[in-house]
Amino acid sequence: MKHLPKHLRPRWRYLAVELECWPDSSIDRRAFQRECWYAGQNLLGDPGGARADLSVLQFDFDSTAGVGEALVKVRHGWSDEARAAIACIDAIDGEPVGVRVSGISGTIRAAEEKYLGRRGQDSEERHVVFGNEERVAVVRDGSVDVRLDAAFAGTTDLDYDDSDYDYDLA
Amino acid sequence: MYEAVHAHPDGDSTVARLAKTAADYGFDGVVVRNDSSTRAEFDADEISAAYDVDVVEGVEINADSVEQASGAVGNYRTDETIVTVSGGSPTMNRFAVENEKVDVLAHPMTDSGDVNHVLAKAAAENGVRFEFDLSGVLRTHGGRRVRIIQSLRKLEDIIGYYDAPYVVSATPRSHLELRAPRELAALGEQIGFSKPFIEEGLAEWGHLADRNRRIQSESFIEPGVKRGRYEEEH
Repeated sequence: MKHLPKHLRPRWRYLAVELECWPDSSIDRRAFQRECWYAGQNLLGDPGGARADLSVLQFDFDSTAGVGEALVKVRHGWSDEARAAIACIDAIDGEPVGVRVSGISGTIRAAEEKYLGRRGQDSEERHVVFGNEERVAVVRDGSVDVRLDAAFAGTTDLDYDDSDYDYDLA
Repeated sequence: MYEAVHAHPDGDSTVARLAKTAADYGFDGVVVRNDSSTRAEFDADEISAAYDVDVVEGVEINADSVEQASGAVGNYRTDETIVTVSGGSPTMNRFAVENEKVDVLAHPMTDSGDVNHVLAKAAAENGVRFEFDLSGVLRTHGGRRVRIIQSLRKLEDIIGYYDAPYVVSATPRSHLELRAPRELAALGEQIGFSKPFIEEGLAEWGHLADRNRRIQSESFIEPGVKRGRYEEEH
């Protein structure tokens, strides 16, 4: 079909979204897209969800580190509603997730340049002493996610003395 | 703007991790309000300096009876900057709003808890803040969420009429449950609160912390009397 003339094309806003999970959670684009639409539908209703759009355009997730980012397309004038809906995503595929809208732009390229790819995602495994026991932890940019028996604990490098922290995985 | 958090061992993340994430998200500070049975050990000054975010020491008193709660309030009042009482039953709600040593009545509308004009008047008189707990709006779905939103709307109607003070929190128990102030304001708007209402509620934790720190500082003697600079010996 022929392109719509410019004045009839819908205008969009692009939301850059930062995602964070416990390490080893696997989240894919389809699951995130589904949660976005559900969250929109639950908070804004079917008409609101349809108008806000909330399509995921880009999705990148590093499951070892448990961090990722996405670009979500929203209809112009609906970015506050979309922001509220995205804030209500508390789990994706049953994995608890932290979400934050890091910025909004009028073009995909501006959103990419300004808000995506800023987070250091280099992570490494280390042994730490947490709660008087030696544990394996995933360290990324000062954040330390400690693997407990059935769960994780979120800590930072401030929570350890040098002797509890600084030895590598042998 | 401040967020009131439950840190490890009450929650899943340590004070440091919550403070780090909160600073990232644009909060000015965090209030640590662990349950009185699961206190966190942390160095507020060190964390505050490392992440450039205010760390306020607090406690949330979760008691079965008024006597127990009253004793706990007396115990913690002198050491903790912010003392909150976990509401959610008619007796605890009433106890909290009638006690001027209590700073915040947390989640007053959960379980069998309810708020009426009597409680709102008492809270306004004693300066006890009602908490608008957004955790249920963020993290539940369906009929439960509908009822939670209804109860928050009711709370707002009543305290708005009596001009009772309030605070707002998403009550995170891990850094993953934190949400940025702009997100909370946007969410508030969707469920019928204005943006300034949510922002003031988040900022109120900070005002409370400032006031209590001033009162607990050594230069404060009693209302209207404080040690001035001419006190030095000649």
